[in-house]
Amino acid sequence: MDLRFTEEDLRFRSRARSWLKDNIPKTARPAHGAEAAQFDRDWQRKLYEHGWAGLIWPREFGGLGLSEVQQVIWYEECARAGAPHYINTTYVALMHAGPTIIACGTARQKADHLQRILTGESLWCQGFSEPNAGSDLASLKTSAVVDGDDLVVNGSKTWTTDGQHADFQELLIRTTPGSERHKGLTWVICDMSSPGITVHPIKTMLGDEHVNTTFYDDVRIPLTNVVGDLGGGWKTAMSTLAFERGTGFIGDQLALYERVNQAIRLAGKTRLEDGTLAIHDSNIAGRLALIKADTMAIRAMTLAQISEIQQSGNPGPKGSIMKLMVTGTSKSLSHLVAEILGWEFMEFNGDRTDHPWTYEYLWSWVYTIAGGTSEIQREIIADQLLELPRAR
Amino acid sequence: MFLALDPDEQAISDAAADFLVNEFPLERLHKVPRDISKLEAFAELGWLGLAAPESAGGSGLTIVEEMLFFIQNGRVAGPLEILIQVLAIAAAQSAPAVSESLICGKAGVALLVEQAADRIRLIGNADARYALAVSPRCASLFELNLANCQSVMCLDSSVAMYTGDGTMIRPVLEQAGGAVWQQAQIDVSAMQLGLAERALEMIVGYAKQRQTFGRAIGAYQAVRHPCADMAVRVETARSQLFYAATAFKEGHEDAVMQTDGARLLADRAAKLNTDTNIQLHGGIGVTDEHSAHLLLKRANLLGRLFGTSRQHMASLLDVAGMPREA
Ligand SMILES: Cc1cc2nc3c(=O)[nH]c(=O)nc-3n(C[C@H](O)[C@H](O)[C@H](O)COP(=O)(O)OP(=O)(O)OC[C@H]3O[C@@H](n4cnc5c(N)ncnc54)[C@H](O)[C@@H]3O)c2cc1C
Repeated sequence: MDLRFTEEDLRFRSRARSWLKDNIPKTARPAHGAEAAQFDRDWQRKLYEHGWAGLIWPREFGGLGLSEVQQVIWYEECARAGAPHYINTTYVALMHAGPTIIACGTARQKADHLQRILTGESLWCQGFSEPNAGSDLASLKTSAVVDGDDLVVNGSKTWTTDGQHADFQELLIRTTPGSERHKGLTWVICDMSSPGITVHPIKTMLGDEHVNTTFYDDVRIPLTNVVGDLGGGWKTAMSTLAFERGTGFIGDQLALYERVNQAIRLAGKTRLEDGTLAIHDSNIAGRLALIKADTMAIRAMTLAQISEIQQSGNPGPKGSIMKLMVTGTSKSLSHLVAEILGWEFMEFNGDRTDHPWTYEYLWSWVYTIAGGTSEIQREIIADQLLELPRAR
Repeated sequence: MFLALDPDEQAISDAAADFLVNEFPLERLHKVPRDISKLEAFAELGWLGLAAPESAGGSGLTIVEEMLFFIQNGRVAGPLEILIQVLAIAAAQSAPAVSESLICGKAGVALLVEQAADRIRLIGNADARYALAVSPRCASLFELNLANCQSVMCLDSSVAMYTGDGTMIRPVLEQAGGAVWQQAQIDVSAMQLGLAERALEMIVGYAKQRQTFGRAIGAYQAVRHPCADMAVRVETARSQLFYAATAFKEGHEDAVMQTDGARLLADRAAKLNTDTNIQLHGGIGVTDEHSAHLLLKRANLLGRLFGTSRQHMASLLDVAGMPREA
């Protein structure tokens, strides 16, 4: 084992650090709406133009072909510099759709989409979950029939994050009539401007409208938009989720470290209602220290994970351990800060920039529910890592 | 940058596992509750001087290999005297005569775990020549006279414990600095991790076999989810320990904070995993004939060695830009 970065890695780090210092947007990201999406596109465009887009994407698809270690360095520097949060309206395009098209797409799909994803020109959303299919994704019912060269889609999807801004959607539907569970599904590229699509916002407890229900009424999608095989959508969908569970949250993993240190500094200057400095409260100090230790371990686990990818080519089921740790630790942190901040915590206008801790607190449940709930992550660990008898 | 075992490291870990599982299986403690001292045999096999320099009769390996050995030691609740001896060897580095007698296993060492004005407490080797004390500031060796001491039963009955007064010990040497303390944190964390791993394996094995209401208990989420949490604690503690040992070996600026973090997470994993292991076994889990309590008791002992959790937390909260109160 060794923790030494190569000369090349160190040069990369200093190049990233100085570029970020000079180029981070001077204005904060707007809290909501089309302006927020435009802000994200502009930032992605800038990253692209200055050679920071598609860090680990292969060069042949417009990426930089960098190592996983350099990707870690990039996200560490972004967190340190306070760069725009990478989980934004470009996330599904860059972290799901792009990698899925690289792995399973046709030459034409690659040519049509990859470049536009890297430049921030096209935003994507994910249409997997339905009102009656979340944890049990394979029970989904939105379906399509083949008509000539098209699929004709009817049904609805829900929780579609940023569906109102997206140009395209990764849509998972049932295409074999009468099929059940994982069989007969298809992963298809859906143009969000197609006739027959309506997007209805859902207001969340954060006060914003970033998720939606999407309705499909005889929506025609060309068969050339199928990624992977017609009827083989489960396989394509699993590769989408593998990217997310593999390194899709790497930026959050590393940013957590900065947030913990911010919380420690906050505890060092905030007085509790009885006048005690928060950091001198043994209960608070003890919890903060353990959260910090967990955060250090998350960074170590990230490095261990990329070392294992180097060795064996895939991260294995440990991605579920990572998701539990990152979301659980993040939740403990924001809930602890809620105690430290006292009444100040109650001030909230819905803007992440103005009230980051209250926002993080509310977001903590999204974190432990979206992308597979914590309970489902434990199921995956029990099934795949511990090989216990199945509950289902 | 590579944070997984390379082939050489894997070979050391396998050799350690092979030796310990054959010579000191956990189940031995049901037949012979206390291991007889085998220092000279350990010395011959090279386990005492793993990380000691070759010039001092050691193998010249590093804290990383030592850590890998102690993970395996933890898995079988192995002989504690190896830990104490290894740390004493590190403490005696500047005194070749003493260090030599330790590294070849001729002189044994007990560990001072309490040192108050009127009372001292030791654990380990009954006929030890030396006693070792380790603090964040220094490591000290004393000559030990057990004549006036009292033997007391220990919760972890595989370990001998003695109490007595200050007349039992006479200073021999002192090494200034926190190096031995840090090494102790890594070694203890490794043993705690080993216990946590073993507890997980024990319950996962049982959960596949034991049937209630017509199905294996491992199919119940009230059983399998706590098992998943045990696995999360093991992975977390392992990643941090590997990082910390490597940072210590490479002399990183933040090595103290990293080892303290490793210690906190390893203690947590051992404490909670050995507890959950008993609970999920049901009645058989509280019996003497079962091995679950051996893990719990050893974790209890290790958790008390070399500082309190409060001490281990301090470095983690020492963040740059932190305002201080006078
Ligand atoms: C803010 C937000 C954004 C999202 N964005 C998207 C998106 O862009 N695209 C998309 O496709 N989806 C998205 N999702 C959907 C998300 O993936 C699902 O909400 C999630 O998988 C849970 O499904 P569910 O809501 O149907 O809950 P359910 O599956 O109904 O679960 C209800 C409860 O039962 C538990 N449970 C269910 N099954 C089991 C089991 N077998 N064992 C133990 N416990 C179980 C769950 O853990 C949960 O606590 C988003 C969700 C949220 C909240």
